[in-house]
Amino acid sequence: MRRVETGTWFVMPAILLLAAVTIFPIMDVVYLSLHRKLLIFGISEFTGLQNYRFLLQDERFWRALSNTIYFTGLSVVLEVVLGLALALLMNRAFRGKGLVRALVLVPWAIPTVVSAKMWEWIYNGDFGVLNYLLGTKVNWLGDPFWALHAAIIMDVWKTTPFAAILLLAGLQLIPADLYSAARVDGAGPVRLFRYVTLPLLKPVILIVLIFRSLDAFRVFDAVYVLTGGGPANTTETLSVYAYKVLFQTLQIGYGSALAVTVFVCVGLIATGYILLMGRKAGLR
Amino acid sequence: MTRISLKRCLFALFAGFLMLCGLACSETPADHEKADDAVTIVFKHGKIQGDAEHFRQLLLRFEKENPGIHVTGQALPSSTDEQHQFYVINLDAGSADFDVLSMDVIWVPEFARAGWLRDLSALLPEAERRDIFPGPLKAVTSNGRIYAIPWYIDAGLLYYRKDLLDGVGAKPPATWGELVRLAGEMTKGSEDIYGFIWQGKQYEGLVCNVLEYLWSHGGDVLEDGKVVLNSPGNIAALTLMRDLIAKHRISPPLVTTLVEESSRHIFGNGRAVFMRNWPYAWNIFQRNGSPVKGRIGVAPLPAAPGQPSASTLGGWQIGVNRNSRHPQAAERFVRFITSRESQKTMALTIGYKPTRRSLYRDPDLIRQQPFITGLHDIFMNARPRPVSPYYMMMTQILQPEFSAVISGIKTPAEALASADRQIRHVLGVER
Repeated sequence: MRRVETGTWFVMPAILLLAAVTIFPIMDVVYLSLHRKLLIFGISEFTGLQNYRFLLQDERFWRALSNTIYFTGLSVVLEVVLGLALALLMNRAFRGKGLVRALVLVPWAIPTVVSAKMWEWIYNGDFGVLNYLLGTKVNWLGDPFWALHAAIIMDVWKTTPFAAILLLAGLQLIPADLYSAARVDGAGPVRLFRYVTLPLLKPVILIVLIFRSLDAFRVFDAVYVLTGGGPANTTETLSVYAYKVLFQTLQIGYGSALAVTVFVCVGLIATGYILLMGRKAGLR
Repeated sequence: MTRISLKRCLFALFAGFLMLCGLACSETPADHEKADDAVTIVFKHGKIQGDAEHFRQLLLRFEKENPGIHVTGQALPSSTDEQHQFYVINLDAGSADFDVLSMDVIWVPEFARAGWLRDLSALLPEAERRDIFPGPLKAVTSNGRIYAIPWYIDAGLLYYRKDLLDGVGAKPPATWGELVRLAGEMTKGSEDIYGFIWQGKQYEGLVCNVLEYLWSHGGDVLEDGKVVLNSPGNIAALTLMRDLIAKHRISPPLVTTLVEESSRHIFGNGRAVFMRNWPYAWNIFQRNGSPVKGRIGVAPLPAAPGQPSASTLGGWQIGVNRNSRHPQAAERFVRFITSRESQKTMALTIGYKPTRRSLYRDPDLIRQQPFITGLHDIFMNARPRPVSPYYMMMTQILQPEFSAVISGIKTPAEALASADRQIRHVLGVER
């Protein structure tokens, strides 16, 4: 009993801090989402699940949700695949290895808003360097098909290094004997990768997937700076939509409902991965 | 057992809070003492263009003329969205940290409806009202009361390459058809120059652009508070905008990414014949070293045959925070900063266009900026975006729909019907 009490004392600051900065705000947003609250008109009334009912028939919400899922899916897959390739390259012994590892991290180190501004210039349809290099005249940020892909390319450029470094750390944990043993058994590079590297790297890959999916699903700054959600809402993600409703049209109740939805989606993704990880990796 | 420890813990936390409060509160009395003998008013404004010194001089002049009142000018982030957010959060919380605020023309009805602004009707006598352009006057009036004083004015203009038009003996186009023809002729066979550029990115500027086409085709968004989006005039206007890109090909597809500055860069490098933009660009084009210096002109935007030209009204207005602790001093400052004298000084030093019409006959101003006389008639035709406390919601509906039309994924009729339905919903439900 005594021990438990001491323990409570020790975790109390952490719990109080979490309560103040996380739990209370989340409860507050959930509470707000059950209201019709319009600052301009001084309206604040309890409407139960009305906002969520409206959300189900809000075309713009579904559009934003599908944009977000597409963005998350494509960018995370590309990041993990390219990150793995980079990690495998960096895992080899070569001169200047340290320098390369440091340089690879540069895109990750640049604040998102800055890189988004940079990419805005790169994508510029008039004098952008990307069209110049490709010899094309693509309207990257203004074309309903290309705009979302342009945002994905930027996100992949920015976060592949993060995936690569985590995966590299995982690679280095794999004992060299396993490779030697497999080679003695006559395995070529493909089979080595398939039967040694991949299974042992799985827990790390799952962790990268969790981190990246959660981050990508909440994407805001990259898209907001690059396109503001346009053209025709083809790049509007859930966070961008929630921001506009909360802070531009000031529909606090409905905006909170959108924010709660993002929160729930992120929670579902995280739970999904944890279940997956528990099953596949035997909860090691 | 654990219950006691929780109580103790809460007590410790409470004590901590008290200590923090003590620290925070100990600083305030000093401010109050200072405020007793000399009043300090805080003026929040956006980024002031050009040399900040000119603006500082103006504030100093006020302090000299009004002993006992200090003015602190505080600049907000340059993005208007962020300024709007700042005001909403602080005004809704009843903040008295600032007394005087500058507002974009579309915010005044909203802030007035929320009860955040002082009624300033007394500051603008009937005789003075006649001297102010009708557009801004309409924008600051709600239910017959005036909630802000127009500070400077903006309106959409047609910039054109005078040298190129003179070369073929043409005058600036009065109708959209003429603009299409001229731009087509002048860019034929040339890859280096665009015909006509404007702001087509999905943002507030797109709505400003589109409204000019709607109005100059006899259309509109609201009429007497009713939604009138579904009209033949509006359909013709949006069809023309899409055709500029897809059919006439005088506007490049990249207009769907352009904002004010990016279009100014293209035109300023001599790479477009026509451009729609606000007056601010003129001064930049006339600087030494500018490739288009002395080679450009401005004109009213074209219209459909038989329709008047229309410009979207922009510009900023000055209001007083309802919670200001020094309303009298704040009102004095508003009178000063929006006065004929101050507006003239700002026009001469910073290039902000006055909202008072009589200044457009001022010899000093005309000598320095000859084209200002032409602007007078354009500003007379400047129309405010729908004056409504719901405007911010309406524009969020209009932006993606208009964007869908110009990028070719919706027909004008589809987009207008959809926007019409959504705005009706907002006006009906959110009232």
